[in-house]
Order: sequence, then C-alpha cells, then structure tokens
Amino acid sequence: MGKWFKSGSPWIWMTGGAVSISLIAVLGLLLLIAWRGLSYFWPAEIYQWELVDQQGVRSTLIGEIYDTEAVPTERLLSAGHQFKQHPGETVTRYLIKTGNREFVNLDFRWVLATDIVSRTAPYDVAKLERSKNGDFYGYPIAIIEDGKRLALDDVEASFESHIERAVALSDQAVSLQKGDIGSINYQLENLRLKQRGYELDNALTDSRKQALASERERLQNEYLELEKTFFALRQAAARDAVVVRDMRGEEVVLKLDTILGVTYSNRLGIVGKLVHWFKGVGNFVSADPREANTEGGVFPAIFGTVFMVMLMAVIVTPFGVIAAVYLHEYAKKGPITKMIRIAVINLAGVPSIVYGVFGLGFFVYMLGGSLDQLFYPEALPSPTFGSPGVIWAALTLAILTLPVVIVSTEEGLSRIPSAVRQGSLALGATKAETLWRIVLPMASPAIMTGLILAVARAAGEVAPLMLVGVVKLAPTLPIDMNFPFVHLERKFMHLGFHIYDVGFQSPNVEAARPLVYATSFLLVSVIVSLNLTAIAVRNHLREKYRSLEH
Amino acid sequence: MISIDKSVMQTAPVDLDNLSSEQTALEIRNLDLKYADKQALFDVSMKIPKKQVTAFIGPSGCGKSTLLRCINRMNDLVDNCHISGEILLHGQNIYAKNVDVASLRRNVGMVFQRPNPFPKSIYENVVYGLRLQGINNRRQLDEAAERSLRGAAIWDEVKDRLHDNAFGLSGGQQQRLVIARAIAIEPEVLLLDEPTSALDPISTLTIEELITDLKSQYTVVIVTHNMQQAARVSDQTAFMYMGELVEYADTNTIFTTPKQKKTEDYITGRYG
Repeated sequence: MGKWFKSGSPWIWMTGGAVSISLIAVLGLLLLIAWRGLSYFWPAEIYQWELVDQQGVRSTLIGEIYDTEAVPTERLLSAGHQFKQHPGETVTRYLIKTGNREFVNLDFRWVLATDIVSRTAPYDVAKLERSKNGDFYGYPIAIIEDGKRLALDDVEASFESHIERAVALSDQAVSLQKGDIGSINYQLENLRLKQRGYELDNALTDSRKQALASERERLQNEYLELEKTFFALRQAAARDAVVVRDMRGEEVVLKLDTILGVTYSNRLGIVGKLVHWFKGVGNFVSADPREANTEGGVFPAIFGTVFMVMLMAVIVTPFGVIAAVYLHEYAKKGPITKMIRIAVINLAGVPSIVYGVFGLGFFVYMLGGSLDQLFYPEALPSPTFGSPGVIWAALTLAILTLPVVIVSTEEGLSRIPSAVRQGSLALGATKAETLWRIVLPMASPAIMTGLILAVARAAGEVAPLMLVGVVKLAPTLPIDMNFPFVHLERKFMHLGFHIYDVGFQSPNVEAARPLVYATSFLLVSVIVSLNLTAIAVRNHLREKYRSLEH
Repeated sequence: MISIDKSVMQTAPVDLDNLSSEQTALEIRNLDLKYADKQALFDVSMKIPKKQVTAFIGPSGCGKSTLLRCINRMNDLVDNCHISGEILLHGQNIYAKNVDVASLRRNVGMVFQRPNPFPKSIYENVVYGLRLQGINNRRQLDEAAERSLRGAAIWDEVKDRLHDNAFGLSGGQQQRLVIARAIAIEPEVLLLDEPTSALDPISTLTIEELITDLKSQYTVVIVTHNMQQAARVSDQTAFMYMGELVEYADTNTIFTTPKQKKTEDYITGRYG
C-alpha cells in the first residue's frame, strides 16, 4: 500500500478523476439542455384517447403526451381516488397537451393510466399552429373558401395551398407594417421633433411651418395608401377558413389568417419528421416571439445578445489595452501602481448587479440625461438617451469586463522577451514606435484571450442588463433601415433575460418549459460560437507571432 | 599564448594613444556607471578607431557588456542606472541633454547575444529600421534589403523566401539576419554583444568571417567571452576586469606581450 502511494498512482487517479468529473458535469449539462430543448421541435404522435373516469363518464381526448410519471397508488388513494381493482404499487400518469385553449379550461391535463380505455393514433388528426391561443388539435373536415364550404375530401390537395396563401398574405401584411409603415411613423416622429426643435429655438417661421405641414401631408397620404394595402392584404388573408372537428365532436371554424401551419404528425415518416424538425428549429431562431414570448421564435433576442456583446467588445478592447499598456509600460513601479493594479483585479469580484445600479445611475441618468439636454431637447420630456438602451448596456458590461482585458493584456505584455523590444529600440525606434509596431502585435493573442474571457462573461450576464436596457419585448431591433440605421438608444431583447422571462414570468409554465431549455441551449450555442470565433482568431495570431516559445 | 592567424589581420596596427580625430570613431572619457548602489564601471577612458574591429574581453561580470551598452545608451532602459563621464561621437557627447536617443541608435547599431528577429517576414525584419524612418518606397526598400542581406552574407540562403517568417531560419541565419537588419540603416558603428555565444561552431565561423568583412564599412565593437575569437577577428583588444579597463592595445600586443600581469593571467587561462 505504501509502495502504491509512493508510486504516485493515487495522485494521477485523483487528478484524472477531478478532470473527468468536471467533464461529465459539463457534458451532462449540455446534453440535458440540448435534448430537452431540441426534442421540443420533433413532431410528436397525436393520439386520441377514450377515457372513463371514476364516475363512469366517458370522454374523448386528443393531444400529445408531454410527460409521463409513476405515482404511488398510496398517494392516489389517500387523495380520494377509488380504483375498481388495485392497480399495483404505482400508477402511470400522463401529462397530455390538449391545446384548444379557448374551448377547454386547461390546455394541459393529467390523465391516469387506469382511466384510459383505448388509445389510437388516427391518420387524419392534425395539429394546427395558430398565431393566437396556442395549438389546436382536431380533424380538419372542410375548407370554407370565400363563404363556400368545400369538403376536405375533394380539396385535400389544396388545403396546404390555402394555408400557404393565407400565411404568405399575412407575412406580406406584417412586413408592410414593420417596414414601410414603420418607416413612415418614424419619419412623422422626426418631423414632430423637428418642429418642436424650431419652436424651442424660436425659429419656427411660416415658411418652415408650411414646409413641415406639406411634408407631413405627403407622409400622411402615403400612409393612408399603405394602410389601404395593408387592410386589403389582411382581408385577403382572412378570406378562407377551415372547419375542424375537435375532441368534443363539435365543428369549430378557424379563420385561416390565424393559422400558421398544419401538421399531420401521424402521417409523417422519419424523413418528414426530420424536415419538420429542421423547419421548427429554423423558425425558432429566425422568427419573432408571439403570445408573451411563449410561442414563436427568439430572433430579436439572438440579435440583441450578439449585437450588445459585439458593441461591448468594441468598447472594452481599446480601453482595456490602453489601460494595460499604461500600467505595464509607462507607470513607474511603485506602491501606487501596485494599488491600482490590485484595485483593477478586485473590480472583477464586484457583483454584477452593482454594475447595473452604477450603469443606471451614471450612464443612463447622468450621461444619457445630459446628452438629452444637450442634443435632444426637442424630444423632452420623453427621453432619448436618458432611458435604458443598448449602448448603456454595452458600456456597463464593458466596465464589468474591463479587469479581465487589462489583466490578460498585461500578462501578454510581460511575456514579450525584452530582447525583441531592445532589438527594436536599437534600430532607432522610440518606445511608442516599438509598442505600436512590435509589442502590441505580439501581445495580440493575449489581448484576444482577454476578449474571449470578456465575451464569455458578458454574454452570460443578465442581472445588470435588467437595469440598463433589456426588455421583455422590443418592438424594433437596434439596427433597421431608417436613418441613421444603428439606433444605440433603443432597448433590446437578450437571450438570458428571455429565459428568465419565459421560465418565470409566463402565464403558461408547462407550455414554456421546453422553450426555456431551447433558449438556454441557444444561449450556450451563441456564447460558444462567439468564443470559437475569437479562439480561431487568436490561434491564427499565435501562429503568426510564435516567437514567445523560444 | 594563443597563436594569431596573420591572414585575418589585414589592418595595420594604429597608435592608440595618438589617434587623430579623423581616425577616431568613438572616444570614451572617464566613464563611471552605477546600478543603484553597485558601481559597474570605474573611470573608463579609451579611443576606438574607425573602421576597425575592437574587442572587449574579460571574465563574466567585468562590465564589458555594460560598457558596450553605454555606447548606444541601451542602459537608459535600466532603472536606477547612473552614468557620469562622456562618450564622444563626432566630438559630441552622446550623454548631452539635447541628444535624440533614437537618432543616436540609428548611428550606433547593435546586435545582441541571442538572435532576436521580429515576428515578421525576413524582408520586413530587414527594412524595419527604414520603415521607421518613413521610407516606404518599394524599390528603395528592395534595394536596401538586398544590399544588407548580401552584406550580412545571407542573401543566397534567403533570397527565395524573403516573405517567409524569420523564425523559420536557423539560429546562425537569424543572427546574420539581425546583422543585416542593423546594417540596413547604415550606422557608423556596429556593436556586437557576444554575437556567437548562442550559436554552433559552424555558424560562429560564418559570423566571424562576416565581422572581418564588415570593418571595411563600419566601426565594429565586439564583446566576446571567447579569447580565440577576439584574437581572430579584432584589431584592438581591451581587457576589462572588475569594471576597470586594465589594458587596451592592438590585439597582437595583448595576446603576445601584455604589459599587465592581470591580462597575462587571464589570457593564459589562470582565471576567468
């Protein structure tokens, strides 16, 4: 035994074990959120159950199995359940998503296996995805085209095309609303601000007033024109309807403009399911959220996260590098420098919410407020920069991650061999030229390392953002087609906050849970891909400045 | 005693005590140097003749590298380093207040103990000094690069891969590249601080031959640990011991008939 200890094997086992446990933990986490998140998009079988409850009442249920659990019989008995015969130790209980939210009280239902008489997977049952009230399960039986009822048996082939037509028209209407109509509203608002600006400067002459009025009239006319097109599109989209027989056996008429898609899950083969899955994932990352974020996609959140992190990187890198250069190259080595360095390192340990409070107080109210006073007096009292926005979020996170960049840049600077610096100085370069031409390029891999750590930290940070710019639902992205194209004062959506919002603030927790996993997985993927990009750049730079190895 | 290969000694010995100002490249006058509390150089005075090779020899820690680094003010980079005395270049004290250190270093180039190429291409290494002076004319740079690489006897080895990274070269090639980089800006004086101590014997030989060639255009000052090397390449040799200049004479004299007992003891290998 003593010999075994001496050989060093226990040490190897211990260290190896620590590494394996960390690896298993990380992989387990990734696998869990990936599995839970991604399986949400897989089209599940739609079943029809015949149930008989304890009172002997028969009912029919159509839906998907959402979750399965084993409940001890004891517990059910003590809760007042009565069984005709003892069902054994445990009873299986299914959580069934029934949809049809406006017709049944709950769109999720627990069903005991003992109540089930039969379960079938009918060929004709479909899941209709709607823009309001969640999914609808039932048997589509007819299409109403322009008031004419067409039995679905005859027009089966054109059912899909009817829906596609409606979806395409709705999409057109939405893009018209967001694009051209949004642009006109933006211009009208600018006109209003311009007029207000003239008023404040006492420069609102009659000719200017007239010019503004005529411009406004032109825009109004354009708006009315577009509005007409918009309503026409909406009306055209609402032309058709579908008749669906639901689980109560009643026929329900659903307008086609509220339907986003129809899936006959039970008809799909593995290829069809895969196609559906990819479509679902694609939709999730590219579409806007619907129904208080519990449905639809998360594109604005992805965009907001990436945009904010990049903005932060652009701010923090030059700042951190310059500070590190001063600390390492120019500052005299003494107690003050030492204290500053310690203070910088300690900044990394300040809780992030404190940065949020600081950002709100300093950036938003003081800096933003003063900017408004100076440059946007016409918009007051409604704030332009004086309210939380993406620029302030980026600045707050830049301060939060500044220590990381400073520390790793300094480390990089101190690793550069003095021989190389002296070589440059001996050729008649000044210190600044040496820094610029030799030292900083050679330190660039270390700067990138700092940036990677900063991005990793910033992309996962949520708490401070809630104070300085993140919102549950942002109507517009920080970048759009309206001049000046980049709107740094706008509020934005963020994946981290989206997870919190969907998971804890949503009215329908069951429906939201898979979205929480999917969004988490997406957030991790976004951070990983941001980091991988940075790491690739760093490796390229390392290869280029390989001299540090000898 | 070390035998001297006369074929290398092309230059006739000069009278070091009575050098005219045209013959003098550098004059060191009463130089003292202190690192914090420790004095490293004591009252060094010497004249270094133009377009000849002058070697500083002596045991480790004797101050020969320190003296060399005074000549292009590299010691400025060391904290707590105090220098008194003068070093005259063109009759001007390089330690005077109004001297531009960068332009001094353009006139007094330096090659270090270990090859220190920049992490750039071979070509960019050579033209670095020129680019610093704001020369960006492609033709001018190409010419200077070829001239310096030829001057450093490395042109034939690298002419086909000028734009490869300099780290791909061997140690000896890197050292010659560094010499090429130093002569690209056409300094008057070239300081070599133990340029072969990190190299293999064959590279050492190449560099030594190169040094002998260089003196036709440049004043070369070399610090070396290796007495045979000093004997082979230098015209003048200065022997230093404990921060003092013990003896300074033409190489022949130092190695055959040294005046000082300490010199004799050192070159016969009694200490060092």
